[in-house]
Amino acid sequence: MSKDKKSDKKDTAPGKGISRRDFLVTGGAVAASTLIAGTPANAAGNKVKYPASKGYLVYDSKKCIGCTTCMLSCSLVHYGVQNLSRSRIQIMQDSWGKFPNDVKVAPCRQCKVPVCVQNCPVGAAFIDNENGNVRRIDSDKCIGCRTCLKMCPQQPHRTVWVEINGKYKSSKCDLCIDTPYWNEKGGPGGKQACVEACPVQAIRLVPGMPDQEETEGYDVNLRNDNWYNLGLVDDSEMVPKMSLEWPKMAGGDE
Amino acid sequence: MKGGYTGKILRVNLTKKSIGKIDTEKYEEFGGGHGMGSAIFFDLVGDQLPFEAFDPRNLIIMMASPFSGTFMPGSGRCEVQGLGPMLYPIEWFGHSNFGGRFTAQLKFAGWDGIVVEGASDDPVWINIINDKVTIESARGIWGMDTWDTQQEISRRVMPDKKYKWGEWAELSQNCFTTQVPAVVCCGPAGENRSRLGALLHGPGSQAALCGFGGVFGSKNLKAISAIGSSDVPIADPKAFMDARLWFRQFQWNVDNPREAERFGKGGPYALISGRPSGGNTLNRDLPLTPARAAACASCPRGCRMRLATGDTNESVCAGTLTVKVDGSLKFTRQGSDLMHRYGLGHWQFMPLMQYVDTLYKKGVLGRGKQIDTNLPLDMPGTFTYVEALMREIATREGIGNDLAEGCARFAKKIGRYDEDVNSGDLSLAFWGTAIHYDPVIEAEWGFASLLGERDLMLHMMANYPLHWMAWSGDPYLTAEKAAKLYTDAMVPYQGDPFMVDHSDGPTGIYSDSKVKQVAWIKHYEKFWIGAGGFCGWRWPMCITNNTADRRGPTPEAEPKFWNAVTGNNLTFTDYMDLGHKIYTLDRSIWVLQGRHRDMEVFPDYIYDKPTRGEDMPMYIDGKWKYATGAGRTLDRKKMEDFKTRFYKFEGFNPENGYPTRDTLEQMNLGNVADALEKKGRLG
Repeated sequence: MSKDKKSDKKDTAPGKGISRRDFLVTGGAVAASTLIAGTPANAAGNKVKYPASKGYLVYDSKKCIGCTTCMLSCSLVHYGVQNLSRSRIQIMQDSWGKFPNDVKVAPCRQCKVPVCVQNCPVGAAFIDNENGNVRRIDSDKCIGCRTCLKMCPQQPHRTVWVEINGKYKSSKCDLCIDTPYWNEKGGPGGKQACVEACPVQAIRLVPGMPDQEETEGYDVNLRNDNWYNLGLVDDSEMVPKMSLEWPKMAGGDE
Repeated sequence: MKGGYTGKILRVNLTKKSIGKIDTEKYEEFGGGHGMGSAIFFDLVGDQLPFEAFDPRNLIIMMASPFSGTFMPGSGRCEVQGLGPMLYPIEWFGHSNFGGRFTAQLKFAGWDGIVVEGASDDPVWINIINDKVTIESARGIWGMDTWDTQQEISRRVMPDKKYKWGEWAELSQNCFTTQVPAVVCCGPAGENRSRLGALLHGPGSQAALCGFGGVFGSKNLKAISAIGSSDVPIADPKAFMDARLWFRQFQWNVDNPREAERFGKGGPYALISGRPSGGNTLNRDLPLTPARAAACASCPRGCRMRLATGDTNESVCAGTLTVKVDGSLKFTRQGSDLMHRYGLGHWQFMPLMQYVDTLYKKGVLGRGKQIDTNLPLDMPGTFTYVEALMREIATREGIGNDLAEGCARFAKKIGRYDEDVNSGDLSLAFWGTAIHYDPVIEAEWGFASLLGERDLMLHMMANYPLHWMAWSGDPYLTAEKAAKLYTDAMVPYQGDPFMVDHSDGPTGIYSDSKVKQVAWIKHYEKFWIGAGGFCGWRWPMCITNNTADRRGPTPEAEPKFWNAVTGNNLTFTDYMDLGHKIYTLDRSIWVLQGRHRDMEVFPDYIYDKPTRGEDMPMYIDGKWKYATGAGRTLDRKKMEDFKTRFYKFEGFNPENGYPTRDTLEQMNLGNVADALEKKGRLG
């Protein structure tokens, strides 16, 4: 490239950007104790510390090609069907939009302050201490009150409303801990269906907590020169290293 | 039905304003997509043929496949079928397809396809939201271009009439989606029954061939919108997931591509390497416009683009090649977009624009000329000219009223068809559609088009991987190795490398090997492309630069995915036999319309004009080599002999090309044999 391709996103390397404050995450009060899995976190007067998840899905919204393979993989491994509406990662697109604002990628952030866990009235949303502190929802316990849908601070909300055995419940990304339709171990030390199936490697699992204040903490640069060589540049001053020239040929059409 | 199907096909009668359904199971033996569409067409109106494309009896059939709505790579297309007003001399029962996400949303709404019958008295559009289907008034939308139509309909469909994206919407109680409606529509060209009328989905995805936009217009049907939130069942989810991850080895690895220095540069490998982008021809040169590679539903390649400027979004190939405005990339892009907005089919508009220019230069057409027009023909290569030409065709103003009849019928009307088509001044080749790859060299393309109903438009059938590999100047396989590897994948005819011999010698384009290749193409076209909804820019994949041994996923991938989705347990050959059956059914419908072998001939220029040649593998003097065949002409007698052997191979009567009763009954199509016999056209 004629111009350095410095990432315009913050580094998400393990440990980077995580301060002492990040570890002492509170639910609006002073951290004091460890949350017990399955325990409602917002009981009056509780002062709780939420142990950080050991895995986070980050993505490159400029690299995403909008094929929705990640969504359908998510739906398949969890439910055995293909349905965009069941997916715990959502890809939204405006066909008439202008790059890069034509795509929005929305996976669960495994928030340091898990509002879904904090506000679930029955403890269905919980932190799975046995599986890397992943924020999960136990659908058996979910009473379908939609509180977690309403309270999720993200837009669109990352909790997903699904039909399970004839009842409508909330669900969310579990980093593929519970995938009845896939023979792979998930969780922070395992594989995620969306990561594995994405044809352009635009989703990655990282162990370090991304910046919680900025969307860019999760939306990172996962491209290298091989991407820019496709002619898919970030700005018009970038010049791919590989030649774009078409050789002189006798003729023909495409 | 275990998986892949939702179980019901939507049936809308616009005359009666009624909405019904057809059980998909009734047509399961035809696979899906094109196969089911052909069978439904035959069942509903076969006994009424022939009639005209703009007759209310004509059907618009838009079929999904078991793969639609799944992550089957490169299966996101929608097959459209019906009598095609663009086709010539008879408006054959034709097909055209488009990419995007329409069939995915249709499946999520719970439908395996749509059959539209009759014609409405007033302009309407069809609104599909899960199981709820309504026929809506198109007042206020009729007259809009295709872009405004789609966005206005999206606004009307979404809750609270808000067209928005990036948030969950509750379509009905408990039914959520973050997606926006998938709309397919005609533009002003279709409304005015132009035979160039395309169907548009998104900014640039066209069903460009056959003129189905005009059929929409004749039915007073402006658009169909689909959005849904339900499940597409999968028979064996674990096997399907394993298959999808197995398929990664055949994809272009964007982070670490195999032999990046060789395949990663501009030029022909941008088209055939399987890498993202490459389809938009208007963003190849420096300075590049920042862009996204934008895929159709479930496609791992993403050949389209969305640009930072927002123009030519999702347009590829001819959708970005047709319009050239001198010296202005900006106006060229806008001209392409204007073609999409008017709903003009690019593959017919391109030769028509060239023909108008030819007639102008001959002094036949122009202000005060024999063919009088006010078009600013003295301003070629300007946006003003391009805009005026498109507007007149789309609205049937002035000379546009004649041009809207399409290339062949326009030439006929002005009395120049025989002269200009046979000379090649009007470059038609197959049933009123334009010449594409050279039938004299890439014979399988030309022959398979002639033995079909329109231009083949399937680039991965030998043409792309072999033609562009050779023309790159740096082929990754020798001609001999390419022929062997490619034909190894052509089950059940594998083991005959001469199927891709493009010489005109004893094993070349007139040989029995070529008969098998053309049959293989027709069968693959009808089942995997047509019934499976595959993209012709991705499938078949007989060879690839993305594996060490250069073998592609064909023929292992197709049944692996199909069986995992549907729960069937058939072989690649079984499915190719179904393709043969669907092709035979299509051919029977054409025979009912008047097809005879005597009609299956090219215009004179294809036989008589020496070709400039195209690089392809050829077996010459006992050796394989890449050669062009420049100067070759097509031998009429040998071509007729080829046809005779092809008809026999396929089970058609070589005297007339009609399918025989034996062939039809072996395929469980005895009722089709009865219909042909009733017309005196049984082979």
